[in-house]
Amino acid sequence: MSLTRRQALASAGVAVVASSLAKPAIAANEPIRVGYLPALTGPSSSTGIGITRGTELAVAEINAAGGIDGRPLELITRDTQSDPTKAVNAAAELVNQQQVKVVLGPLNSGESLAAVPMLARSKTLQVHPCWVDSLTDPAKYPMCFRNAPTNQQIGGAANGYVVDVLKHKKVAVISDTTGYGTASVNAYVPMLKTKGAEVVYQGNVDAANPDLKPELLRMQSAGAEAIMPWSVNAGFLSRIINTRGDMGWDVPIVGQTTLGSGQTKDLLEKPEYWAKVYPNNFRPVCYAPGGKLPERTAAFLDRLKSAKIDLSDTLLWWIALGYDSPRMIAEAMKAVGPEPDKIVGYLNKLKGFPGVYGDISFTPEQHNGYPDGEVVMVEANSLKDGAFNLAPGYST
Amino acid sequence: MIQSIVLSGVAIGSIYALIGITYNVMFSASRVFSFTAGTLGMIGGVLGSLFIARMGMPVAAGLLLALVGGAVLGIVTEIVAVRPVLRSLDQHLYVLSTLALALMVQQFVAIEWGTDARPFPRLLPTARTDFDQQFWLPMLACIVVIVGLELLYRYTLVGRAFLAIAEDNFAARALGLPERGLRIASFALAGAIGTLAGFAGGELLLAFFGNAPMLTFYGFIPVALGGMGNNRGAVVAGLLLGLFQQTANFLIGGIFASVAVFTVFILVLLMRPEGLAGVTAQRRV
Repeated sequence: MSLTRRQALASAGVAVVASSLAKPAIAANEPIRVGYLPALTGPSSSTGIGITRGTELAVAEINAAGGIDGRPLELITRDTQSDPTKAVNAAAELVNQQQVKVVLGPLNSGESLAAVPMLARSKTLQVHPCWVDSLTDPAKYPMCFRNAPTNQQIGGAANGYVVDVLKHKKVAVISDTTGYGTASVNAYVPMLKTKGAEVVYQGNVDAANPDLKPELLRMQSAGAEAIMPWSVNAGFLSRIINTRGDMGWDVPIVGQTTLGSGQTKDLLEKPEYWAKVYPNNFRPVCYAPGGKLPERTAAFLDRLKSAKIDLSDTLLWWIALGYDSPRMIAEAMKAVGPEPDKIVGYLNKLKGFPGVYGDISFTPEQHNGYPDGEVVMVEANSLKDGAFNLAPGYST
Repeated sequence: MIQSIVLSGVAIGSIYALIGITYNVMFSASRVFSFTAGTLGMIGGVLGSLFIARMGMPVAAGLLLALVGGAVLGIVTEIVAVRPVLRSLDQHLYVLSTLALALMVQQFVAIEWGTDARPFPRLLPTARTDFDQQFWLPMLACIVVIVGLELLYRYTLVGRAFLAIAEDNFAARALGLPERGLRIASFALAGAIGTLAGFAGGELLLAFFGNAPMLTFYGFIPVALGGMGNNRGAVVAGLLLGLFQQTANFLIGGIFASVAVFTVFILVLLMRPEGLAGVTAQRRV
């Protein structure tokens, strides 16, 4: 059978019409790709693994509920291996090869310090939970948002607990010699002095130093009424706790979240040494004085248990934080669509997004969304189901 | 305070001395300063914790397996990082090769074991006292190693062969001594001594991958101060270093204690470049 020119043109016309009709149907189901940069291996992986459990649960729930107007969220995950260089390379790959317009993470400050400027240059919307203050700046990084506290908020909560709640005025501030440790001491000591406290001891000590008794004796002789250690090194923190216990010195230890970690607990000479140790945490994921979690968090915990998500080796706030980030982005996409500029506009007016980890609000001038009042101190020795009791002195 | 300085200082000093001896045993057999010495100490703590605390082995079995592991790492060091650069000792390539191997092992431990310090088990079921096992075990290990090496070098044929190799490598080979075999044996012995240092000091230092660079640096000071290849000098210098460091911790504290240690180290080397117990090398011209 021969094909006339008229028939060929007609066939081509039908094909063009058919393909143009089919296109919206495909686009309507096309996944919305979201980049995700957790550290799943290496030194920061315990945080990354915990947060990822929440993130993956949220994405599964969003997609099970129909996605964003019928389009599922597709998480494009790249393991940063706790390495800033790999994090920035992975961010570039997500933006350039995978063409993602939204990135969640990186999840630790060292990696974010490398990745935030790069993602800002490529005009990618970014939501991260890293604490270093300089990691948000609406002028420099207008598409970067933080849904977690800053270091100022963390230090402010610890200082406030020591000075305002425990009513101690003579404080010893100690850190290891890492960048985080020294920066924390330099930032928090002036804050303590502003609050009227006297910093009777201030020091940076090598985290591998096996004997911290000289430092604690110096604190004791200076009249310290509370010790505030700033380090993420469980060995260093446990030596401070053990030395205090061996000396029979009954002062509170108030500081970094790692004070309440399982690794720190494993290194204690006696379990009772963990008493009067108060690490940072977050009120919405803590047990109130009556032993109850807030209603929203209790419901979330039940969902985690029914989804068989393991809580024994992680912390509830990590999972809650991971759970909130994709939900916040999904809510914005449902409201204004998946275009990053429109999502930025939506987030700039976000007021009280009801996260499990905390209610998040942003303004065009303020991209730090976590409320000050939710950063609290907890009892280190009260860990149950990944959550802690509020430290003594907090009201319900 | 003085009790704390002496107890901690001598205990830590004993660990430094053992790491110094590890350097020396490898140096005597090869004229190479292998910077895997501190890594061997770190491995001793990690393997001890792995075998005893995690796998539940008896202390004796855990110690034996840790020493075997250290000896194997010593042999690997000789084969991978030392033997290929022996022909060009004057170019000091061993600094790079041994440091590279040390870093690889350290990173492997960080990935497989983790970067947090982990508990090292109490080796003897005794209650904690002022003169606790965490202090006297490193001292005991140091004494055992010193006496053992003296007996080995003085009273055994293998020990005399070690000394012959250390004294004059070429002459020893000319006399038919198996230089390569003795060198491997020396590195295995050094591996076991370094591992013993970390094992005996495990309760003080914990099972922590970050102990490797600390022991590499502080373990080298006794060697430099005590005279290269001089075990007695390393022991005296190691103990003095531990005592001085602990005194500086008490009197100065913080990061400045380390500064004080290195200042004294540099001053001593400026005054006596051959080390406190070393002898100025003479060569015929």
